[in-house]
Amino acid sequence: MTADALASPGFAEPKADTEDRATRRARRRSQIVRLGSIGALIAVFAYFAIAAPGFAALGNLTNVVEQSTVLALLAFGMSIVILGGGADVIRGGIDLSLGANLGLCAAAYTVASNAGCSDIAAAAITLAVGTAVGSLNALAVVGLGVLPLLATLAVMNICAGAELVLTQNTVLTANSPLLSWIAGASWLALSVTDWVLVVTSVLLVLAVHGTRWGLRLQAVGAHTQAARAAGLGVRGYLAGTYVGAGLLTAIAAIVQAARLSGSSPGSGDILLSVVLTSLMSVVFSRRLLPSIGGTLLSVLFIGCLINGFQLLNVSSYWVNGVQGVLILFVVAVRSLSTRTGGG
Amino acid sequence: MATEALALRDLVKTFGATRALDGANLVVERGTIHGLIGQNGAGKSTIIKILNGLYRADAGTIAIGGQISPSISPRVIERLGVHIIHQEALLPPSFTVAEALFLGAEPSHGPILAGRRMRRRAEEAIGAYFDLTLPRGALIGELSAAQRQIVQITRALLNKPRVLVFDEPTASLVRREANRLFGLIRRLRDEGTSIVYISHYLEEVRDLCERVTVLRNGRDVATVDPRVTPMADIVSLMINRGIDEMFPKQVVRPGKPALALRGLGRAGAYADIDLTLHEGEILGLTGLVGSGAKEVLQTVFGLTRADRGEIEIHGQSAAVPSPARAIARRLGLVPEDRRGQGVALDISVRENATLASLKDLTRFGLIDTRRERRQVDGLIARLGIKTPGPEARVRDLSGGNQQKVVLAKWLSAQSDIYILDEPTVAIDVAAKVEIYRLLGDLAKRGAAILILSSDLLELQGICDRILVMYRGRIVRQLGAHETTPEAILAAAAGAGLGPERVAA
Repeated sequence: MTADALASPGFAEPKADTEDRATRRARRRSQIVRLGSIGALIAVFAYFAIAAPGFAALGNLTNVVEQSTVLALLAFGMSIVILGGGADVIRGGIDLSLGANLGLCAAAYTVASNAGCSDIAAAAITLAVGTAVGSLNALAVVGLGVLPLLATLAVMNICAGAELVLTQNTVLTANSPLLSWIAGASWLALSVTDWVLVVTSVLLVLAVHGTRWGLRLQAVGAHTQAARAAGLGVRGYLAGTYVGAGLLTAIAAIVQAARLSGSSPGSGDILLSVVLTSLMSVVFSRRLLPSIGGTLLSVLFIGCLINGFQLLNVSSYWVNGVQGVLILFVVAVRSLSTRTGGG
Repeated sequence: MATEALALRDLVKTFGATRALDGANLVVERGTIHGLIGQNGAGKSTIIKILNGLYRADAGTIAIGGQISPSISPRVIERLGVHIIHQEALLPPSFTVAEALFLGAEPSHGPILAGRRMRRRAEEAIGAYFDLTLPRGALIGELSAAQRQIVQITRALLNKPRVLVFDEPTASLVRREANRLFGLIRRLRDEGTSIVYISHYLEEVRDLCERVTVLRNGRDVATVDPRVTPMADIVSLMINRGIDEMFPKQVVRPGKPALALRGLGRAGAYADIDLTLHEGEILGLTGLVGSGAKEVLQTVFGLTRADRGEIEIHGQSAAVPSPARAIARRLGLVPEDRRGQGVALDISVRENATLASLKDLTRFGLIDTRRERRQVDGLIARLGIKTPGPEARVRDLSGGNQQKVVLAKWLSAQSDIYILDEPTVAIDVAAKVEIYRLLGDLAKRGAAILILSSDLLELQGICDRILVMYRGRIVRQLGAHETTPEAILAAAAGAGLGPERVAA
């Protein structure tokens, strides 16, 4: 017996060269998820195009886009928060305050406008409110280290309370040149609302998927240790996502105020759709993470769903249930594919 | 001075009452491969964490390239040219290879990423250092452990490091991949990079390193040339104990049969398994992957069912269809996946130790806490479990001590048959010795012990008999005292060599 044998690892099994095969299998699996999702999207679209009269008309489709703008802006914010905070449903990034923040910002704009503020002043106040709410989230999550799920739940309640104080839970109407411009004007067959969506989408796709900042943001969310080891300021990125989401929400609020000619209670209900579309965007991405493009697709998918139901005279109450089912489905797909894939 | 690439002197680091480092030195000459070895808990990982800026030393100096650096952060250390290849790859799993390689220093036009240039440079770099290409566009999460390590090493090399620290780099590699890594390390050394090589495998250290520093209890006990120092000396430096004491041999006369397998068979896994395990006996079972040895053990565990044959426990026929049934028959199961199946990581040592024996400790549905406490204290002392106390979380214990907690669980359940699956994998040498001693003790008290292991030296050291399986059958029985690891390996590989004592 020699001490040398101590060091030998016994039976070292020469592993066949299966590396590339395993890689290919993992990729194929995520490809199936992606193609399946796109297939489902096309199928739903095709069904409505055939079954619902007028669905595929150009006017109706731009209508869908217009109705989707507010949701899309919020969902972009949510996707950025999830990207930066990590996709873990419990510990990862999430911003539950987006819906309530939307209501608060819309109320802030309406109240400011009715109090005699100029359009620019009212818009500035709105953006400030949205950003402040985002900063509060950032403070709670990054500064105090509260779980995002809980921190933003608390902030959601703060926003909802503040909105009630501002509006006394009533419908407030507002009318200003800015609002009527957004609601009325159009350029190249697209309304101002459409353009808001197009411009933010393009800018965010570029920022999140095409810049250093976006890549580093994703590193922070995907592997905090690795980001730290690469010398990145993790806390700054995290805080930035919540502030950015707040800012996007404020922009959405101005669009919403234009569409509703003021503010009305119940904006918070949009939260379910925001969570759904942001989670759903995951199935359109090879990395199984939210993406701006995927979020946009999901938002339009939900928009088509709502619109199609309306045209088919299906009660809109069904939409909530369908969205709930979709959330479960999407989360299940993701947890299944991360359990068996990767490795 | 100028020949020192890296010099850590008199490092001290304490955590509460424990001194993780107690005046440790590590001086690496320029252009050499310097090994750093020591058991778990000797201070290796503390040194790494100080080097990458995660911990700050309480005392001592760190000099890199002759320049003493007072404060260390990840940025500072990398600017000074020290890069660490961590055991677990620090790469975001959702990133492509190119993105992971250049994270933090991305090729770009202003703030806009230059994606194509990044991909091309990534391929060039990996091709230059490793002479291979990774699957195009693959995500890190889709790569194998070895491929991930290639990415990580390339990432470090892109920064032209002066000192490269490898932390257990071969832990997840197969032999061929490890050899490729050794070739690269030698080449880097020849090109002038200084290497710190941390490993459990003494063989690797001997083949690779020019100097090796042995850490023990937070101190560097010796720095030697492993090419001229006998391995046995290095081992005793590590454990401060002679090698002959590795396997505390106890001669025990076997008693009545405790566990018997008669004609056991399972389609596609094993056939005609006859095996008798006596009280007071330690029986070894081994075989290469696919030999069926693992599957036999799973059947005894109650995880799978045999198609044919029967299992007798203390002379009574017993189908063992579930682990719960096995435990009720006082079988103690020590699974290979210790952290997943052996212990509950997030509850205390006390709770783990009495998990299987709560029934005996319960009166009127309530746990008799005083008796439980007494029993647990007794077990901790008897097994020599190193824990801050009975309430410490098992997660915070070392691997060896976690394994002792598994054994404590079965001891407290008064098991008399122990089935162990690779019981000392990833456990450091000293803890291994203690586990061997414990098993010997148990056998002496009449317990019957069946061990599946692929560590041949261990089998030969602690077992009374060894059964070797090959292609689903027991092909050889060897008396542990008359055999050699080479003979066991030959039998397992299906060669007709070795002592001619074929099992009936």
